[in-house]
Amino acid sequence: MRERTAHAPRPEPRAYQPPSLARAYQPRSLAEALRIRGREAVIPFAGGTDLMVQRRRPTGLTPRFELPALFIGGLEELRGISEGDGVLTMGACCTCSRVLEERAAPPALRRVVEEIGSPAVKNRATMGGNICNASPAGDTLPALYALESRVVLRSERGGRTLPIEEFILGPGKTALAEDELLVAVEIPTAWPGRLFYRKIGTRRANALSKLSFLGMASNRRGRLVEARMAFGAVAPTVVRSRRIESGLRDAAAAELAERTPEVLELYAALIKPIDDQRSTAHYRKEAALRLLRFFLQRLAADL
Amino acid sequence: MNAEAPIRFRLNGREVSASGDPLRRLLDVLREDFGLTGVKEGCGEGECGACAVLIDGRLVNSCLVPVGDVEGRSVLTVEGFRETDRYRAIAAAMEETGAVQCGFCTPGFVMAAEALLRKNPDPSVEEIREALSGNLCRCTGYHAIVYAVRKAAETGKDLW
Amino acid sequence: MSQPDATAPKKPPLHRRNTPPDPQVVVDGRCPGLYILWGMGSLIRRSIPRDDARPKSGGFAEYVADLHPLGMLYARTLRSARPRARIASVRVPELPPGCFVVDRSDVPGVNRVKMLVDDQPFLAEGEVNYVGEPILLLVGPDREQLDRLLSAVVVEYEDRQPIFGVRDSLSGKKEPIYGTDNLFASYVFGASEAEMDRAFREASLVQQDEYESGYQEHIYMEPQGMVGVYEGGRVTVYGSMQCPYYVKNALVQGFGWEEGRIRVVQTTTGGAFGGKEEYPSLIAGHAAFAAVKCGRPVQLLLDRQEDIVSTTKRHPAVVRFRTALDGQARITAMQVDVTLDGGAYAGLSDVVLQRALFAATGVYRVPLARVSGRACATSSVPTGAFRGFGGPQAFFAVEMHMHHLALAVGEDPLDFKRRHAVSKGDATVTGGVYRQDVKLAEMADTLEALSGYREKKRGSAPRDEQAGDDAPLRGIGVSLFFHGAGFTGSGEKDKIKARVELLPLEEGGAEILVSNVEMGQGSQTTLRKIVAETLQVPVEAVVYRNPDTDRVPDSGPTVASRTVMIVGKLLMEAAEELRARREAGKADSSPVFKSYRQPEGVEWNQESFRGDAYQAYSWGANAVEVEVDPLTCEIRVCGIWGVYDIGRAIDERIIQGQIEGGIAQGLGYGSLEHMALRNGRIAQDSVTDYIIPTSLDVPPMEYRLVDNPYAEGPYGAKGAGELPLVGAAPALAAAVQDALGRPIRRIPVTPEDLMAEAARADNGARSAHER
Repeated sequence: MRERTAHAPRPEPRAYQPPSLARAYQPRSLAEALRIRGREAVIPFAGGTDLMVQRRRPTGLTPRFELPALFIGGLEELRGISEGDGVLTMGACCTCSRVLEERAAPPALRRVVEEIGSPAVKNRATMGGNICNASPAGDTLPALYALESRVVLRSERGGRTLPIEEFILGPGKTALAEDELLVAVEIPTAWPGRLFYRKIGTRRANALSKLSFLGMASNRRGRLVEARMAFGAVAPTVVRSRRIESGLRDAAAAELAERTPEVLELYAALIKPIDDQRSTAHYRKEAALRLLRFFLQRLAADL
Repeated sequence: MNAEAPIRFRLNGREVSASGDPLRRLLDVLREDFGLTGVKEGCGEGECGACAVLIDGRLVNSCLVPVGDVEGRSVLTVEGFRETDRYRAIAAAMEETGAVQCGFCTPGFVMAAEALLRKNPDPSVEEIREALSGNLCRCTGYHAIVYAVRKAAETGKDLW
Repeated sequence: MSQPDATAPKKPPLHRRNTPPDPQVVVDGRCPGLYILWGMGSLIRRSIPRDDARPKSGGFAEYVADLHPLGMLYARTLRSARPRARIASVRVPELPPGCFVVDRSDVPGVNRVKMLVDDQPFLAEGEVNYVGEPILLLVGPDREQLDRLLSAVVVEYEDRQPIFGVRDSLSGKKEPIYGTDNLFASYVFGASEAEMDRAFREASLVQQDEYESGYQEHIYMEPQGMVGVYEGGRVTVYGSMQCPYYVKNALVQGFGWEEGRIRVVQTTTGGAFGGKEEYPSLIAGHAAFAAVKCGRPVQLLLDRQEDIVSTTKRHPAVVRFRTALDGQARITAMQVDVTLDGGAYAGLSDVVLQRALFAATGVYRVPLARVSGRACATSSVPTGAFRGFGGPQAFFAVEMHMHHLALAVGEDPLDFKRRHAVSKGDATVTGGVYRQDVKLAEMADTLEALSGYREKKRGSAPRDEQAGDDAPLRGIGVSLFFHGAGFTGSGEKDKIKARVELLPLEEGGAEILVSNVEMGQGSQTTLRKIVAETLQVPVEAVVYRNPDTDRVPDSGPTVASRTVMIVGKLLMEAAEELRARREAGKADSSPVFKSYRQPEGVEWNQESFRGDAYQAYSWGANAVEVEVDPLTCEIRVCGIWGVYDIGRAIDERIIQGQIEGGIAQGLGYGSLEHMALRNGRIAQDSVTDYIIPTSLDVPPMEYRLVDNPYAEGPYGAKGAGELPLVGAAPALAAAVQDALGRPIRRIPVTPEDLMAEAARADNGARSAHER
């Protein structure tokens, strides 16, 4: 069941609080977690596989946490998966392993989760963590964007739901308010049937993404009903364009083939990767466009 | 949790408590407070698997887990595992296939093998590779280790 | 990433072990002391369980990070953040009681790490020459406190113009880092320029090529570390290392003490691969000076990131060829020039260069060869030993050059290479002789049969990668290579002068006292087998502990694939003497010593670079099959085949381990392990970003050993540890070329490079980003 609220009024600037003596909190319920979150500045900590690396210090030293950690990874209320009303709701602290064990998980999500990290990382890394970390290379994100996911946020003031593309604002930046927690991800259970996904990692396993491409499509009677395309790690946030996608609706094979170069150009303008220690901007862009072209060619061939 | 409150958990079958900063890495607590040096730091980034332990039966990299997060949970390290028949089957297989060279990665692989065989007592070679993909080895080239896990599964038929 | 597929046909076995041992009895008449006993009793070749397997798998084995002597303090190193600078000032915050700073003024003796050239300080003296260079240590009881203090140290640098890359180093445009010309070493030998010029004039075809190879980092799973203890006027350093006497000698020089006051003990070492050959001397000094200053034991452990950034790496190389062929497509002359990037200090670059030069013409007969090279100084991390030690760089280059020559004359590369391969009696590039049987022809045959090379190769037609089909492009490539076993040149005779000791034990066994270490490669099994076999006692009766310089003589470093061949041979001789003594009924429990003697006929002249650079060669042949994804240029290695001549295996399973592990490292060197500098600092400074293979990256491996016992080696054994790494990368590069029909001149072969070349070659309008 979805909670729908208008945006709650902006929280009052927090009155000065003495620094907490606590280094971490282990709340026993979501309500308790929200209470703590509402009262003081804390770092929400689900699986920690990103936080513990980002904050790591040299051997033998405790990672750097300038604020108390709020351990929410064990909260049962955040680990459930349920379905109803055309929506699959996944608790924010569902681990990757949990998602892979869940039959109802959409194939697109399953595919991207399969290629996250290692078995040990999958046992700790969570959906919510991957979303809130908002890395341009976040593995789940292209699937969540393409699946039209919404994030469910809660605070003591109430709850709100946002489309994922409105939640992730930039590298490491989200619309999460200081007193909010991301509690669940909602995924509409209707999605196009054909799936194409490629993650290009630095090696065959346990690899960070250099870039990824996820395409979904459905067709009927020789015409494209819908195509969705999302690119990861080639821009500050996931690249997805409903405008370009809607332009392809109803296309037949010949038209799709004819318009492929134009579609490539449109996406080329949106794909703005960088050079870094893992790969180059040139490679990321070239490979992304080649994967896109291949996807479109396959689509046309299927029609 | 403040720096004083003890963190209670099960370690290798015993109830224990850790004190101090709940954000200390479980890796450091295990090695330094409990002397469990079979758990090793190879990278500190959750990439190499040398620090792998089982928490509630699941394989995790202890360098990425704050000790406060294991409150109420059950932790198994190689020291707790090595007195079991399952361990003996794995160790015997590793000895037979030449899976141990410098040995630094080995306890991590032992735990990863146990985590796999618990879930899947008869894994294919592909499944073994996948299950071990989070453990790095620089000495062996992996085949001897993969073979060892396959051998342990075969010879230890009733153990898992 | 591969997915488990229940419907796929059952795959063939992952790797096939070499064929069972030949049951023939072979006695080599040239070496009366050599017995080979077949049947159930012989230990040689037969795989036995390693004693260290169970202690390691159960987590019992103690590595340096597990040592916590009472009262131990921790040390952290302040390292340069600049590639090249004068240190104008260092302001250390006020230290709480119990904390110490250790800097160059705390080096009692010579502040230089003993090496070939003593140019590297233990702790910086007013200048720094690479990012990561140690400046000082902070030592204290509390690591959190130490970390805070370290962050509070303020260094004022006056930046100087750094030099990056060999071209910059040789340009002469910037103030040199080393000497007047930035050359740590430089050599030229072989034919004269006049002879070469004539050969080029008379040639039917002259081809020039240039090849580049990059850094490689060892990523031993155990980061480096030392514990220094000062007690009773003596310093003891415990740590992860390959060469206890290198460390001891460095400490003797650093302290200026008489050597009885210095003791070095190797701790169980979690991998090394050359990365713990010279670097440990530096950090052992740190731990020792700190222990003496503080009066307490001091632990110095490198964090993984610190280890990647600051410790030695494989030398990047640029190798150029100019080769003349006659009308029958035979090589008549070859000119090779090698440039190595030595980083900021001389280190072992001189010897790495020599080994690269001695491998410069590969396994080939080259009537006229002129070889030159240099190791130059740059403002980056000093490069050093890494399995192969100059060989991998040279063999990548010469194997690809031979491949390109073959294509130029329209011949299959393997055929071209075979035609030029040396045989017994042929001259080496330094005018020495290949004195033992060279089985390359037989090995190439076996390789072809195993790999299906003929059926699989594509030829040289360029591919159309933009065909829109995602079917992978397959290719196969081969390499032929050697590794000179033992120290280069006259090193064994003139520098190392190995000495071993065998101590009889009452119960009938013996204790091995050598300075060579077990670092995973199995020496604590193989050397014990050699002694046990010779004494005719069970292996359990032979003891071989981690070396302690108080107890062991200097049998030399654990490098250069010398441990079994040189040290094992000496131990065999010692065991023969001990056995003879026992058989004669002598009740003598005094130790037996043996010292190295160069084999008859092996002569080397270091001044003229003439003669036998090595007393023996081990040989290899590899074939690698790859698939290249035409969309993404990702490379997947489908299989690797190998045939190796390492004389005889002392223990077959241990040899398998060296082959499989060496192949994995060689394939990584060829494709995954990309490392580059950014402003003089290594950009891939974590195990996340410096990519080594996982269990899903290694291909099926199939290999054979050829039987070619080496008379001077113990039970026929030759060096084996480095050889398997050498051939993998060239075969991989050749396979990618075969798949794509485009020349590969650089390793690691990355998808980024392939894509960039494809875009350059692409004259179509498909690359949208160009608009």
